[in-house]
Amino acid sequence: MSLASTCPTEQAEIEALLSRLTIQLEQEALDLPLLPVVATQVLQISGDPNADVTKLSALIQQDQALAGQILRIANSPAYAARSPIVSLQQSIAWLGMNILASLAFTVSVQSGVFKVKGYEKEIQALWRQALATGLYGKEIARRNRHNVENAFLCGILHTIGKPLIIHLILQNTDKESPQLSWTMIDTIIQELSILAGGKLAEAWQLPEPVQEAIRFYPDETYHQATSPTKGAIITCLADHLASAVVDPSSLDEAAICALPVVQDLNFYPEDMDALFELKETIQQSVESFLT
Amino acid sequence: MTSSSSYDLIVIGSGPAGQKAAIQGAKAGKHVALIEQTREVGGACVYQGTIPSKTLRETALKMVQFLHATDVFDFRMRDDLKIASLMTRLDKVVRAHGEFMAEQISRNGIDRFHGRAQFQSDREIKVQGLDGKPTMLSAPLLVIATGSRPRVPDNIPIDHENILDSDSILSLVYLPKSLTVLGGGVIASEYASIFALLGVQVTMIDTADRPLKFMDKELTDQFCEAFEKTGGSYRGQQKIQSAQWDGFSKVITQLGNGETFESEKMLVALGRVANIEHLNVQAAGLTPTARGLVSVNDHCQTTVNHIYAVGDVIGPPSLASCSMEQGRRAVCHALKLDSGDVPEHIPMGIYTIPEMSSVGLSEQEAIDQYGGALVGRANFQEIARGQISGMTNGLLKMIVDTNGEKLLGVHIVGEGATELIHIGQMGLLHNIHIDRFVENIFNFPTLAETYRVAALDIAKQRKK
Ligand SMILES: Cc1cc2nc3c(=O)[nH]c(=O)nc-3n(C[C@H](O)[C@H](O)[C@H](O)COP(=O)(O)OP(=O)(O)OC[C@H]3O[C@@H](n4cnc5c(N)ncnc54)[C@H](O)[C@@H]3O)c2cc1C
Repeated sequence: MSLASTCPTEQAEIEALLSRLTIQLEQEALDLPLLPVVATQVLQISGDPNADVTKLSALIQQDQALAGQILRIANSPAYAARSPIVSLQQSIAWLGMNILASLAFTVSVQSGVFKVKGYEKEIQALWRQALATGLYGKEIARRNRHNVENAFLCGILHTIGKPLIIHLILQNTDKESPQLSWTMIDTIIQELSILAGGKLAEAWQLPEPVQEAIRFYPDETYHQATSPTKGAIITCLADHLASAVVDPSSLDEAAICALPVVQDLNFYPEDMDALFELKETIQQSVESFLT
Repeated sequence: MTSSSSYDLIVIGSGPAGQKAAIQGAKAGKHVALIEQTREVGGACVYQGTIPSKTLRETALKMVQFLHATDVFDFRMRDDLKIASLMTRLDKVVRAHGEFMAEQISRNGIDRFHGRAQFQSDREIKVQGLDGKPTMLSAPLLVIATGSRPRVPDNIPIDHENILDSDSILSLVYLPKSLTVLGGGVIASEYASIFALLGVQVTMIDTADRPLKFMDKELTDQFCEAFEKTGGSYRGQQKIQSAQWDGFSKVITQLGNGETFESEKMLVALGRVANIEHLNVQAAGLTPTARGLVSVNDHCQTTVNHIYAVGDVIGPPSLASCSMEQGRRAVCHALKLDSGDVPEHIPMGIYTIPEMSSVGLSEQEAIDQYGGALVGRANFQEIARGQISGMTNGLLKMIVDTNGEKLLGVHIVGEGATELIHIGQMGLLHNIHIDRFVENIFNFPTLAETYRVAALDIAKQRKK
């Protein structure tokens, strides 16, 4: 753990919070946020082979904010419709059942659970990163001639533990005390978010390959994943590429190319060039998801 | 210019063809380099072709047998088990096979290079590593065994999400409700019958009037009947105008006659193309054919004498079985080693449900070459083994000369066809008299008995 930039009192506070949260997470003595109703239903509908799109569209229509988001996304460059999409029906038709289900799920999770007062900007950055990871995940899978369906969901949910940690920190700190610095929170996030994400994924009964990607996507652990859908390794590279999209100060292209995950995916320089070329399109899509 | 490491033999590609070529070279005491662009050795055969498709088939068959057994035994299969367990088993078998191949290569002292090979001249190869760095290798003898990949037709946007090819179909995360299969060849027919068996509504569409046109019609008729029984349908003599994801929930296929088909997913299996785009064969003095293949003579030798090409990169029959033999024979020829007799009767095995297999002449070929032919038939349902196993289909056809003595070909459809065919293959090789099948004793009850029944059928016709 790197506590270099923190002062001794902050350090002590972090240590205390860390051990409290670790115990809570390990003993499962947590009051985990519930999966929003819409997201639960979306998961049910998309997991039901007999479900049709009318059920999903009815569900989305119940939630005005969600419907608006979906309309905006359908008009984004990522889904580049030939003519502007004006109705929800049309956007549903354009995006298709699977994407729509993933979007409805993401948007409802995002707006339903993780609205943390005081850290809106940081949470927004986390979501930006997650969306870019989902979009890049699809492209990585496609390059590997691998089915791309699973990659998006793994990507958008891989860091679900991060907002949960913020949530838990706030639950565990005195409401009267001054707001914790982001550096402090980030230190705890780095330490515990994978564990927290895993717990949340389990509690929400997310599909097994998605749970695996959440637990194992980091560079050090993707080797441990066994699912043939390769969600963890794909999400690992997607997360690095997404960082380059949302945070210009992160690794540059040469550093990304030198990562072991690139070799493990058997990507040649030309494969990486093709992925880097998508940067702008992905950036635009991410913005349209968020604004 | 970087200096190059020299070898006696360089093999490009580690599929069945390259692997056997490299091993033959090493066994002959040569210093061999094997270049492979993927991390694993084994080629399309192990990772996208024979092994995964056959494992999927086997598991699907077992699963369906298991489900049928619920009539007898009291158990239930978890509803969500299906595709996940299919794919996990697939992954395990593929990994095990890949490891076995890698071990075989290192046991034979072959040097492996991970990277993309590109000819610099007729004797020198640049291997571009994943990091982009080149390694130079040279040898007086080279074998191209770079295989093939699925063809992407211009009018069909394969996105590996809704419209898949034979590589991406292997990473499906759930069974779709419906699947359109474009193509009527081996890969199309195999996957169509596997998915139909698993309960997917499958429609095959192709230009030919029946699937697997090169096989005996009685065999493909039985295949079509079984396929239809599982809910599949074959739409022949159709031109595909376009196929597109409707951006909503289905893939729409438009036929030349204006008809449209809808399905949740689509598999495009309209042939394969040779992997030569990274090779820069021109630098070695080679010119690809109009179909993008490397052309060779009977010894798999290219127009540059010390460069051989084997396997899918030289075109049909594009079978793992033949590719291996081509690899071995090419190196034997190059090193002037005895490679044994040229295989005369290469069997064809198709792992549809039911299986089909054939060796030797077809009825028509026999008529053309011998001025006529007798055909002996044996239905699996009439054999004790077939009855015990509850077989509802299965046929063995023997093609014999007009005297009813000389075996010319064997064609089988039904359970175990790809194994049974080898009895016929040996019969052909040793030119045995048809009566030998009648006079000898086969295990009872076995499907091998079909040979005796078919031979008796011939004998009856002979007497007339
Ligand atoms: C779905 C499917 C089912 C099949 N079923 C059967 C079956 O039941 N029975 C049967 O006999 N056959 C079957 N086949 C066919 C069989 O898989 C192929 O005929 C066989 O794999 C061809 O072997 P190969 O060595 O020529 O090429 P491949 O197996 O394609 O191997 C070629 C290798 O060369 C590598 N390579 C390519 N370019 C370069 C380069 N520039 N530098 C370095 N390496 C390179 C590739 O990465 C690959 O690993 C099936 C094929 C498919 C797709």
